[in-house]
Amino acid sequence: MPKRSQNNSKEKQTIQFSIKFKQFLSIFVRFFRGNNRPNLPKKMDKPCYFNYIESSATFHGAMQNIMGTRFDIVMLGKNREQSERIFTALRLELQRLNFLLNRFDVESEISRLNRRASSGFVPLSPEIWTIMCDCKQYHERTKGLFDVTKDDFSKLLFRESDHSVSFASAGIAVDLGGYAKGYALLRLQKILADNNVGQCFVDFGNSSILGIGRHPFGDSWKVSMENPYRLEKAVFEVDLFDRALSVSGNKPGYSGHIINPLTKKAEDERKAVCVVCQNPLDAEVLTTTLMIAGKKEKNDILKHFEIDKVYEYKL
Amino acid sequence: MKKEKQVDAGLRQFIKDLGYVTGGAALLGTVPWLQSFTPDKLNEIKKEKARIGLIGTGSRGQYHIHNLLGMQHAEIVALCDDYEPNLKTALELCPNAKTYADYKKLLESKDIDGVIVATPLNWHAVITLDALSAGKHVFCEKAMALTMEECKAVYEAYQQSDRVLYFCMQRMFDEKYIKGIQLIASGLIGEVVGARCHWFRNNDWSRPVPSPELKRRINWRLYRESSCGLMTELACHQLEVCNLVTKRIPESVVGMGDIVHWKDDREVYDSVSLTYRYKNGVKITYESLIANMFNGMEDQILGSKGTMNLASGMYYLENEVGANSAIEQLLAQIGDKIFSAIPAAGASWRPETKKAYQPHPIIKGSFSVSDGMSMIGADKDGSDEMLSSFCQACITGEKGKDIVEEAYSASTLCLIGDQAMREQCRVEYPEEYKIPYMEF
Repeated sequence: MPKRSQNNSKEKQTIQFSIKFKQFLSIFVRFFRGNNRPNLPKKMDKPCYFNYIESSATFHGAMQNIMGTRFDIVMLGKNREQSERIFTALRLELQRLNFLLNRFDVESEISRLNRRASSGFVPLSPEIWTIMCDCKQYHERTKGLFDVTKDDFSKLLFRESDHSVSFASAGIAVDLGGYAKGYALLRLQKILADNNVGQCFVDFGNSSILGIGRHPFGDSWKVSMENPYRLEKAVFEVDLFDRALSVSGNKPGYSGHIINPLTKKAEDERKAVCVVCQNPLDAEVLTTTLMIAGKKEKNDILKHFEIDKVYEYKL
Repeated sequence: MKKEKQVDAGLRQFIKDLGYVTGGAALLGTVPWLQSFTPDKLNEIKKEKARIGLIGTGSRGQYHIHNLLGMQHAEIVALCDDYEPNLKTALELCPNAKTYADYKKLLESKDIDGVIVATPLNWHAVITLDALSAGKHVFCEKAMALTMEECKAVYEAYQQSDRVLYFCMQRMFDEKYIKGIQLIASGLIGEVVGARCHWFRNNDWSRPVPSPELKRRINWRLYRESSCGLMTELACHQLEVCNLVTKRIPESVVGMGDIVHWKDDREVYDSVSLTYRYKNGVKITYESLIANMFNGMEDQILGSKGTMNLASGMYYLENEVGANSAIEQLLAQIGDKIFSAIPAAGASWRPETKKAYQPHPIIKGSFSVSDGMSMIGADKDGSDEMLSSFCQACITGEKGKDIVEEAYSASTLCLIGDQAMREQCRVEYPEEYKIPYMEF
């Protein structure tokens, strides 16, 4: 056994080197193309809106129809030029992820995986491989409740040697719906940190929120949630200082898409779950999971995460 | 009785304020009947009183009495009803008034400037015509009359008369409607492309009857000899709003009317669905039902850029980018140096079948919204103000611009709608009833 483990670790090192070399190569190629943009299909360009309000030195950028929802960012502490440059980086990353993770786009890698993996192992790009491994870990940490197959995660077979995945039976498909926005926020968080943005508020479709630093006139970013069944009633208020917030819940028109993979039943109780923690991806995964978890499962799951607060409401 | 605060002070100030804003004159041009409805004009007549005779002292008549008692420029000098119990109640409210059982006798009185007609619909035309000939100013309830012929007769008599004639279509004096109509005229919701009006209640629309022979008199709304039911009692108000907004009159109507639920001996429909069509293809979809009240009452104007819900005083814009969204609130907060919670969190999972729109109030501050359930009159629905304007006109002799023409248009539209339902056919607006005011 120890021998095999050594082999594995050697293999890992080689793979990691190969990933880094590929990344280097792609940056090198882009540099010589004189284009720092990822080489993406033109259809991915999404309309965006941005504005710099001189009087309050506040930047607002927005995108419609990105990952099925709307994206907004309010950024302070940067001048117009810096803000626009950072927003461009964020926008390009979002567009890239929107394509990469979209199972409805026939050209996306996830869609290709879903089409081919029931007939054999499909080799994955380094990023999708990492994401799939991450989903596996989340599956384990959530006692099987977070399941990107929404059916039977055990039918997702991983082959470490060439970073490929296959489906053990037909009818299995990967849906990153409960993961993608959290992952995107994690990526954006890094871009913002790399650019020394210390004060900003990111709102991804009202359900995934990031508060970095504080409101210019407060000691945090303060967010409230309305009861979707009684709009005039705020359910809670929460302070975010370098924190992410994710909300899952059903509202009028809810289509019963949150499915318990263990019972195969759609969650139909009128409720909302909100998680506040540092890692936006943890928050995203947890809210979906806690919508369907029983009381005991909940406590077991939460032990595996570092979270600030969980709010759960009957609506 | 001590006069309380002038009942219409709020609207008068509102009109005055409209005059102050940029383009105020142009704005008032869209609601010309309000030109004189200002605190200053009222001040000019502060030492005078309109001497009012009230014909019809039922629930609506008594509602008017209460309003008149709150007006400094009005005095109730006479009351008339052929139903003794109502007349008695009314007299208790204004003990100094002379009482009459016959309206013709009341009209002979030289001490009356104007009369308020609050009778069943079948009496509107005959009393209005007699009152105008007797030289009285007249305030009558909607609809104008029970038949097209009577409507035309009233309209023509008014054209020949130097007297003031008002038909109570209270939406013309309701702040949120006035402002809403102006916002539509200013292009806020783009081109008007449709209208959806409805009035839903869940009651049998009848009142207790003390003895059987009074049934048809007390519940006059339910019988063809005295009413066209939902059309003349409810639809009339709403069709008028559509005309004010489109500045046109529909050229045809189709519809279906039935007695679906209240199967007593009533003769008028308890369920009506109609489509009025303007020449340019814009349609009014009208619905009224009194056996389900889920949808309440609304006058909804559909524009290419937004929607105006006049009854609830809200408008909604199409494809609104973030206006009033949590992010907009946050930006406004930062601009105003304010820190408070923004309602950013919510469940957003999938695109919705019906887009969530951001509601915007038509008027800033508080305003009154009626649920449409009262059979007598809702609070602050414009009735008090319209009555006050009439009493002012009884003193000044100034006619209310467009009031009669609009009432004529809306009333005749109700009647051709009723005809379309009864005859189960499409009815074109009849040539012989078109008046120069109308644009199709």
